[in-house]
Amino acid sequence: MTRILFERSGGFMGRKVSLEIDMDTLPEEQAGKLWNLLDEADFFDLPDDLRRRPAPDEFTYSITVAAKERQHSVRLSDTSMPDDLRPLLKELNELMRRRL
Amino acid sequence: MPDMKNMMLTPSLCITPPHILRAIAANGSPAQRQMALQTLTASEQFRGQRKIMREVLSFLAMFGAEGKQRFVYDARFGGQLPGVLVRQEGEPAIGDAAVNEAYDGAGATYDLFFQVFGRNSIDNRGMRLDSTVHYQQGYDNAFWNGQQMVYGDGDEDLPPEERLFNRFTSALDVIGHELTHGVTQFEADLAYWDQSGALNESMSDVFGSLVKQFQRRQTAAEADWLIGEGLFTSNVKGAGLRSMKAPGTAYDDPILGKDPQPAHMRDYVTTADDNGGVHINSGIPNRAFYVTAFELGGFAWEKAGRVWYKVLTEKLGARSTFQDAANLTFEAAGELFGAGSLEQQAVKTGWAEVGIAIGGNEAGEGCLTAFLRRVGLLPRG
Repeated sequence: MTRILFERSGGFMGRKVSLEIDMDTLPEEQAGKLWNLLDEADFFDLPDDLRRRPAPDEFTYSITVAAKERQHSVRLSDTSMPDDLRPLLKELNELMRRRL
Repeated sequence: MPDMKNMMLTPSLCITPPHILRAIAANGSPAQRQMALQTLTASEQFRGQRKIMREVLSFLAMFGAEGKQRFVYDARFGGQLPGVLVRQEGEPAIGDAAVNEAYDGAGATYDLFFQVFGRNSIDNRGMRLDSTVHYQQGYDNAFWNGQQMVYGDGDEDLPPEERLFNRFTSALDVIGHELTHGVTQFEADLAYWDQSGALNESMSDVFGSLVKQFQRRQTAAEADWLIGEGLFTSNVKGAGLRSMKAPGTAYDDPILGKDPQPAHMRDYVTTADDNGGVHINSGIPNRAFYVTAFELGGFAWEKAGRVWYKVLTEKLGARSTFQDAANLTFEAAGELFGAGSLEQQAVKTGWAEVGIAIGGNEAGEGCLTAFLRRVGLLPRG
């Protein structure tokens, strides 16, 4: 069983929102897309905190992937986001905003 | 406007007589004005003398030696900054509301700082005002990245009935808020976490709100004191993102929840999120400013605004606390309007209203310790 916990905090409103995804119950196509995006970002090899000095009003994100054999968390912000991670963040943001 | 009478008496200025400065500023070519400016700022006498430099620069700016330099970029819904340049200073409006709002809002903010406080742009040296609009998709936010302003379009990618946020350029005070983060970076440079971060946030709300009040020529009693009024769509139960007048009451919505801002120290929120609740606890100093301005009546930028500006640019430091801000605004009001003046009393009332006594010991240290810390004789926090 694999779960993804995505959290977004800070921002102009300072409001925290989160999304929990159970990859096993997700439609196969969507789960496959997420796995691809995690692979492309080399997610499990990323440092656990990518943030630099906080920029005023930017969002802070936390992504945790918990699989049977491994678990990893990465924290980042709008101004400390590697290009490789943008597609994954875009997908998670979309999923989160659609379920709000 | 700078105090010209005092400026003439400032000893350092005797080296370049005011009438020569005036002649260069009024009659010089743009290049000559620029050169005069550079010579002045580079000269040894002005190094480290922020106040004098500010007066000289704003004096030159008064005669057009410097001015607004706005540049608006389009990120085209991506995450790369700054994006494509779409409008720059002096160019007419284009067929994109977000671009024009960012341009006009930066202009209105520049005008408040220049016309009321004699400040020439973010760094007081005519820095460019760069803004990027259409940042990412469905980006319900705006921020200052250390060099420029960045704005999302809200929920533009959702069907209208699901949208909660309009584009962030649509609220003038949000633009003023972001640009003020730049000013703070060049002045007190309040560290963006815990109380210093909440003060940083509050300064942005204070001057963001003043930009709106200044443009509308509203008195403290007439102003709505909301931050981000109009940013919520009609799907949200809320008047704005924050209320400086009544923190905690700006919205109460089934999806967004309730405005979490405290209006008093007894309700101070301790949290690890949001850099220690910088957007939450800013409600406390926000209300102190509102009460001060309301007590004084008239236009908030004329008295309360001047006190807060002086504190932001001359007194606060990176690790200042709410208690420091209270003590220093009280001190600044005394310097500007006299000890025991109505203005100074109003500042005291403003902070008392949120549970902070001037000279009090809220952070476990008194006036002297805070002062020694500020001037570097004690380690900062």
